[in-house]
Amino acid sequence: MSSQTFNRYVEVGRVVLVNQGADSGKLAVIAEILDHNRAIVEGPTTGVKRQAIAFRRVNLTPYVLKNLPRGAGPTVVKKHFEAADIAGKWAASSWAKKLAAVERRKQTSDFERFQVMLLKKQRRSVGNLNLAKAKKANKA
Amino acid sequence: MVSLQQRSRPIAKNVGRLTRTQLYTKRGLFKGQKKGVAPQKEAQAESKTKTVGGAKNGGQRQVPTTKARAFYPSEDVAVPTKARKAQRPTKLRESITPGTVLILLAGRFRGKRVVFLKQLNSGLLLVTGPFKVNGVPLRRVNQAYVIATSTKVNVGAVDSSKLNDAYFAKPAVKNATKEEAFFGDKVEKKQYPAEKAQEQKNVDKAILAEIKKVDGLTKYLNASFGLSRGEFPHELKF
Amino acid sequence: MPGVSHQHKYSEYLVVGRRLPTEVDPTPKLYRMRIFAPNEVVAKSRFWYFVGQYRKMKKGTGEIVSLNVISEKKPLKPKNFGIWLRYDSRSGIHNMYKEFRELSRVDAVQALYQDMAARHRARFRSVQILRVAEIEKTEDIRRPYIRQLLTKNLKFPLPHNRNKNYRSSFQAKRPSTFA
Repeated sequence: MSSQTFNRYVEVGRVVLVNQGADSGKLAVIAEILDHNRAIVEGPTTGVKRQAIAFRRVNLTPYVLKNLPRGAGPTVVKKHFEAADIAGKWAASSWAKKLAAVERRKQTSDFERFQVMLLKKQRRSVGNLNLAKAKKANKA
Repeated sequence: MVSLQQRSRPIAKNVGRLTRTQLYTKRGLFKGQKKGVAPQKEAQAESKTKTVGGAKNGGQRQVPTTKARAFYPSEDVAVPTKARKAQRPTKLRESITPGTVLILLAGRFRGKRVVFLKQLNSGLLLVTGPFKVNGVPLRRVNQAYVIATSTKVNVGAVDSSKLNDAYFAKPAVKNATKEEAFFGDKVEKKQYPAEKAQEQKNVDKAILAEIKKVDGLTKYLNASFGLSRGEFPHELKF
Repeated sequence: MPGVSHQHKYSEYLVVGRRLPTEVDPTPKLYRMRIFAPNEVVAKSRFWYFVGQYRKMKKGTGEIVSLNVISEKKPLKPKNFGIWLRYDSRSGIHNMYKEFRELSRVDAVQALYQDMAARHRARFRSVQILRVAEIEKTEDIRRPYIRQLLTKNLKFPLPHNRNKNYRSSFQAKRPSTFA
């Protein structure tokens, strides 16, 4: 297993993103590995209760809480989570931004969708205009 | 008025002798609902005092004014149960308030986005295009055939007091004779009543002013609603 | 089974029973048994089945004195369980020992019934659980499939993972899920 093939591992301290169920979209930390399918996770600041969760229901993020002891309780996990500023790093990541954008798009109203359509139209026309100008300039 | 029971004596519990249509004909309901007011009856005393002869009879006696029936039917006649449900006015959907932009789903103007003004007594919604923006006149629609959006237009300045269900009633037209209809004589193009056209303008004026204030709203109301690829109405927010 | 969540199909019951008191023996001996069963009715039935194998007792001349559910003390701590069982196969009776890494005794027993059903097509009625014990020391673990989970600094990738959330329901091409 070369380190180039895999960058993200299931390990104690790995930050995961829950992608199914009530906690969908929240971050959690692997506190202990149960077996090859499940782990005990907890998100002390994100509202994910300590629970056994299947890896099928989470995504591994690039963040790891180094030196998190195996089977750590909520206070210890919280301390490490905040010390590493995972929430800040996550909010700044393009992954989180993309998720937020998708969520925002889902929440748009009918009128907002119409306005987006108008703006897109405008962008296209500006682009085409510039293209036409450039073509003309090339010919001359 | 003769009671319903007498007209159609039941043959079993809750089953009348006459059908609904027969009863309707007998009661003469085609002539219109009877609206007679029953004359007020004077209250009658239940019994009266009568002087009686004979020494042992006490001189006076209480005698009922109306005699009790001598015969009773051997079988009980079932009385139909009373309807306990009252007709209530149609409940307006919570998402629809005056000024809400609605998407019409049925009828001639399906797909159009219109402005909701008020609910009429019949429960139908009074909407307008405005006519100048998308060609939808003042119109009544059923709220079942409408999607309420979260977009609102301020309609506080609109005077819709003249608009009611009667406003939309069709004027009574004398039927053309068969010959006239067959040969197409006397066919005139109906003119849209001038006063209705004026009313439309009056109502729309304030709305148009409000619509102009929001960028793109006129275009929005002018455009028809449609689903594009990957859009599913149950997943959309309106 | 409606009303019972998938995660806890079974419960652990502590069933206490005895023979009915008689003039000869007004205070009969009590017998206690821990039984895994889907509900109380089955738990009582299994109690009479098992007790009848050891003592001359039966339901008609006995009574259940008490029946309690035993719940897990620490249901969020992973534990290693060893289970000894007797299994009635099509050709004979076998004793077995299996290990499970689960959060509770009930979970371990449920995993056992699943495992027995999968590997041996064994039904609930043909599996008798003799003993369920937590194994506290790593060196006491006998099975390699549990031992491998207890290595220090355990870490492994998820090579065959595919997130369902980010793709459409229908696709023209099959995804490549290997690394």
